[in-house]
This record gives sequence, structure tokens and C-alpha cells, in this order.
Amino acid sequence: MIRFDNVTKAYKNGTVAVRNISLDIQKGEFVFLVGPSGSGKTTCIRMLLREELPDRGRIWVAGREIIHMPKWRVPYLRRNVGCVFQDFRLLPNKTVFQNVAFALEVIGRPKNVVETQVPQVLELVGLAKKRDNLPSELSGGEQQRVAIARAFVNRPLILLADEPTGNLDPATSQGIMRLLDRINRTGTTVVIATHDAALVDWMRRRVVELDQGTVVRDQARGVYGIDASTGSVPRTEVAARRTS
Amino acid sequence: MPLSADYIARETATNLWRNRLMTIAAVLTVAVSLALVGAALLLKQGAANAEVDWQRGTQVTVWMRPTSSVSEASAVKSELTQLPYVHACGYRTQLDDYHEAGKLLPSSEFSALTAKTTPASYRCTPNQPQEAQAVIDRFSGQPGVLKVTAPLPEIHTMEETITVLQWVFVAVALVLLLSAGVLILNTIRMAIFARRREVSVMKLVGATNWFIRLPFMSEGLIQGLIGSLVAASVVFGLHELLNGLANPNDPGSVLAQMRLSGWELFGTDAVVIVIGVLIGSVGSAIAIRRFLDV
Repeated sequence: MIRFDNVTKAYKNGTVAVRNISLDIQKGEFVFLVGPSGSGKTTCIRMLLREELPDRGRIWVAGREIIHMPKWRVPYLRRNVGCVFQDFRLLPNKTVFQNVAFALEVIGRPKNVVETQVPQVLELVGLAKKRDNLPSELSGGEQQRVAIARAFVNRPLILLADEPTGNLDPATSQGIMRLLDRINRTGTTVVIATHDAALVDWMRRRVVELDQGTVVRDQARGVYGIDASTGSVPRTEVAARRTS
Repeated sequence: MPLSADYIARETATNLWRNRLMTIAAVLTVAVSLALVGAALLLKQGAANAEVDWQRGTQVTVWMRPTSSVSEASAVKSELTQLPYVHACGYRTQLDDYHEAGKLLPSSEFSALTAKTTPASYRCTPNQPQEAQAVIDRFSGQPGVLKVTAPLPEIHTMEETITVLQWVFVAVALVLLLSAGVLILNTIRMAIFARRREVSVMKLVGATNWFIRLPFMSEGLIQGLIGSLVAASVVFGLHELLNGLANPNDPGSVLAQMRLSGWELFGTDAVVIVIGVLIGSVGSAIAIRRFLDV
């Protein structure tokens, strides 16, 4: 579903954000990208959305090579990739319903589809009763649920989340993770860039650790840092995956 | 992707209302700038009309010798009426010219004249003032003709002055148009800058550039249209004011000569409206371009 092939990305100031990364993510996987600030997590997410282009290497998303994709096709790529951000990026003057409907309207879905799908997804995220509220009338967790509903309403193949719980308390963060897990169970591939060690440890899903732009760990049911069960970072899995 | 007219109309109306302060700023900028452009165009057209009016009054005078015979005078008259480039001719007798000289000449010079020594004349208006020279060439030295005169140097000077004046008005209109374009573009850009977050969200959920651009263009078009309608009204008001100031008893006054016909006024207003609509819609498309590159 997602493939990085020897991808390198440096910014104009000389910072190498991503260094020769190769990574495969299968359809329906739930993957955490972890690592300290500046390790390259956000750059990976931005490259998957084609907000950034790598300097070297190739990237496939939903079966399409996106580096050489013409600009006019990028919107069609993004319709297959939902995304959620730490700052929610909701439109403050639109209601919950309108924010979610917006994602369908801009891709030209007819009104009857909008009126069917939006209530369904609001039900899924538990905000059916708040459909007429403005974002400013919601808590942080609720706003993030709206952002997830907007990202998922189009039933994308992939859902990317960049620090989705960065602004939320632990209990609310767990709720968001449960929701993303539910979405993942529908067959959507979920990739989350996060700092939140507790959540990663709690979820026990595949963990790809980045450090200074390089993949230093790729673990099937991993934790944020050193695996308590083994007492060490299972770097061998990185090598195993690379050779397979 | 199908672009719903309903969606564009709804978004346009909502955004115009939501950003009403910016909308008012853009409309006022368009109105003030284009009113100045329209006024410059109005003056340019007025100067052109004054030139035409003035040229229409250019006269060539064929002075007959006081001693010329009746047959010589009638030969000149008949030739003048047959010339295709002569619009009209009037005959003034020796007595008429003598009385006119009394009004024009100082008494010391006039006292030397008598009605019998004053030449009779044909006062002719050529179709084009430049054709006065042809009349001079044709009749100078003819039997019975004393001399042929026309205010050629004055015509030349006046033509040059009016041509320069027209170019000045065109240049002023162009400079105003350019500054209006920059002002309007800047206002639209500020309005779009305030909504860059919305644009980035639209891009992230997969909206095509045209889908994002069209409501903005439609907003710009409406702002440009309203602003230019205000400007056209100002131009109309200015025209009426100048007409009111022109003395109806003096058709030779500059303001009367500059008067525009209804069609010319309509043309100037149409130009102002077309410019307003184009600047509004194309300006929006240009202003939003940088925010589409997400």
C-alpha cells in the first residue's frame, strides 16, 4: 500500500530530514512512526501527501508511484489518503457537519451522498449529536474526532495522522486511538507519527523508529523505546524486514 | 470533477458576507481607482471631440480684388462649389467686409479703408482642416483673386496641442489603471491570505485547483462588478457635472466642445465595467495562485 524505496530528503538549509529510507507498509496495517523531534516522521507524512518531494528515491502510495506523478493528479491521490493533524485544521466558521461534508463537496460528491455519508461517519466518531456545533464549542478530543471523521468520510485507502494526540490528555488520546483502531479494522491502512510513548506501548502495533532520518527499528508488535520483554531494541527485525 | 454551480454560488455568497469588511475594501478600491481611470478616459474623449468641433470651424478665405469683374467672381464661386473637399462657402460683399474690418482693425488703420477698396471674400469650410492648403494652392494667382488665407500655423499648433493633451490623458489613464490593478490585486490577495488555511484544507482533502479557484474568481468578479458599477456612476455624474457647467449660450466654449454623446459616455462606462470585472476575476485567479502550491 505504501512503499519507500531508498528515499532521501534534504531541506534547503542543508538539514537531511530523511536518509536513504526503505519501507513497506501492507494494506490494512496499523503502523506507528516514532522517534524524537527532527527524526523525519513529519517529512515522511508530508512526502506521502506529496506536500514535499524527495531528492532521491521513489515512493508508491496506493499502487501509484507519486514522485513523477503530474501535479494535476495530486488531488486525486489525496482523495485516497485521509490525513489528521495535531492542530486539527478545522474550518472555524463551519459546523461539525459542514466541516465533514466539505471533504465530500470539494471532490464533487452529490448532495444525497453527502447527506447519507456524513451522519454515518459522525455516528462512527460519536459526534452525531454535535453536528450543528462549531469547532470552538467542542473539546480538543471532539475536534480531533471531527478531523478524523473528515479524513475518513471519503473512505480513503490510507489514513495518515501526524501527532494526532499531541494536544490531548492521555484519556482522550486513548479514545482517539480506539477510534483509529476501529477505522483500521475496516481495512484502511493507518500510519501515525507520534511522540506518545504510552499510546504506542498500549496499542502494541507495528513500530518504525526513526532517528536522524534513518530507520533504526522496525518491529511488528513493538513499543515506543526499549522492549521491556526483551530488554533491548530489537534491531534485528529491521535487518530481517530489509532482506525479506 | 463536476463543478456544481450551486456550490460555487453558495460559497461565493457565504464568503462575500463572511469577509464583508474585505469585500467592502476591495469594492471601494475598484470604485475609486476605476472612477479615476474613467475620468481620464472621459477627458481624453472630450479633448478628441473638442478637436473635431474646432476643426469643423476652420475657414479658408478667398479674397477677391476690389477691381475684379463679376465674371471672375462667379468663376471662383462656381469652382469652389464644385470642389469635393470644400464643405460650404459663403459670399461676403465688399460692404460686409468693410463693416467687419471696422470691428477688427484699430481706427488708425480702418480710417485708410473705404468700402470700395475693401476686398469681397468667399469664406469656405473644407471637409478636413488639412485640405485648406489645397484651396490655397488652387486659387492663389487666379484672375480676380487677391490672395487666399487660412490659419494654417494655428491649425497645426492646435492639432499638436490636442494630440499631446490626448496622449497625456491616455498616459494618466494607463498609470491609474496600473496602480488600480496593483491596489485591487493587493486587496484581493489580503482577502485570500486571511483564508489560506481554508485553501490548505481544501488542497489536503483533494480539491482540484479549479475547484478552489472558481469561488474566489466568482467573488473577485462580483467585487469588480460592483466596484466598476460605482465607478461608472461616478463617471456619469462627472459627465453631467461638466455638461451643467458648459454655457448653453456659448457653443464655442471649451466645455461645450468637449461634450460627449450618449454612445461615447456609454462606451467609456462599458470600458470601466469590463476592466473592473476582468481585474476582479483575473486578479483573484492570480492572487490565489501562490496559495494553491501546497
